[in-house]
Amino acid sequence: MRSVAVLGIGETKMGRLPDKSLRDLIKEAGTKAIQDAGIEKERIQALYMSNFNASYLAYQAHMGPLASEVLGLGNIPTIRVEGACASGSLAFRQGMFAIASGMYDIVMIGGVEKMTHRATEEVTTGIASAMDYELEAKVGITFPSIFAMIANRYFYEYRNVREEMALCAVNAHHNGSLNPDAQMQKEITVDKVKAGFPIAYPLTVFDCSLVTDGAAFLILSTTDIAKKISKKRIIEVIGSGHAGDTITIGTKKSITEFAATKGAAKEAYNMAGLKPADIDLCEVHDCFTITQIINIEDLGFFEKGKGGDAVAEGKIALTGSKPINTSGGLKAKGHPIGATGISQIYEIVTQLRGDAGPRQVKKADIGMNHNIGGTAATCVVNIFKGW
Amino acid sequence: MAKKAKIYTYSIIYSPSEEFKDKVPYVAGVLEENNERFSSFIEGYKDGMDIKIGMEVEFSRFDEAGNVVYKF
Repeated sequence: MRSVAVLGIGETKMGRLPDKSLRDLIKEAGTKAIQDAGIEKERIQALYMSNFNASYLAYQAHMGPLASEVLGLGNIPTIRVEGACASGSLAFRQGMFAIASGMYDIVMIGGVEKMTHRATEEVTTGIASAMDYELEAKVGITFPSIFAMIANRYFYEYRNVREEMALCAVNAHHNGSLNPDAQMQKEITVDKVKAGFPIAYPLTVFDCSLVTDGAAFLILSTTDIAKKISKKRIIEVIGSGHAGDTITIGTKKSITEFAATKGAAKEAYNMAGLKPADIDLCEVHDCFTITQIINIEDLGFFEKGKGGDAVAEGKIALTGSKPINTSGGLKAKGHPIGATGISQIYEIVTQLRGDAGPRQVKKADIGMNHNIGGTAATCVVNIFKGW
Repeated sequence: MAKKAKIYTYSIIYSPSEEFKDKVPYVAGVLEENNERFSSFIEGYKDGMDIKIGMEVEFSRFDEAGNVVYKF
């Protein structure tokens, strides 16, 4: 396998962007990524485009050719990749394989989602297509309620981490307030999180990730090409893993640890020859606050059942021993579903390059992104190293 | 269909999908019977009700779509 590097990154500001169409979002983020890579767009040999829900929310499928037309990529092959909320990291992996295999030397990865123009109930219905529609959505289950059920079970098997869940939101909002691309720009308090409008007990609106419009793009190349043409720090992909699990919540062996995360992490750690302690910072999939606590346990950063303690002790803060979601995460930067995994990688590359401004962490040589789809039915974990 | 099942986990839902707009707040959960788990609507929720994991619920009926509905 050939070594792969992230040559360029670009993203839009995340948020409620009523004046920006899918085309506008693609144009802005894609153009930035090409400029950041410092290449002519004619050198891009393929486009892997991630999108989850535009077929439902915006009546738009076939996102590959749409993005290619907007960016003027000519007749290159394009494909849309979909794996619920993990779509972005899945698209990334397809591009990585293509370069590692020798098929292509330079490819583009993109993700886009437009969600905020629809009513909350419609967005809830659209997102519910990532579970089993017949067995789950049709009996009234929503995604917030799936993770609320996971939280209640976690309280039963370990302990009640309601307070620590709120602290995850506080940390996310603080980091988001330091990220100009984040949807949420304001700090929040534990009391405000707990007193928020109830979505699905025990989750309030402030335990939930955001409904977001946005796009994020990457340019990947062989590491050799990156070394030749890039003036920026070389960011190599040193580990990548992808694992799955059953789609329904009732069929999983455990719902307080995610087999897909553990499988994907193991594969990524093995490929990189690293262990959890070697990771300087990580963007984890905090679709809900409880998910963040489970993720940081499953990734091996903290002991099972102790993730909440780590949060309370400030270990996940920008200045902590294991900074988590320095971007603000899905909770404060936003969750434009198809773009989310790519936007996580955008943050890791930004941190490894030392370009994160007021939210820059001190030691940023090895970063990870962790991206879950559905009820932890799909998971991708990638590890990046700055040279 | 098991007459009785135990609550493996649950949530009280306040923000529904379009189909369940008229039913909030309502409870849905994962139920357990003979080591098998399945998702179900659980009817009969009243505000302030004390719901616990492990508590027993009874089979109530099949809904219009043919899905099982249990009750408190």
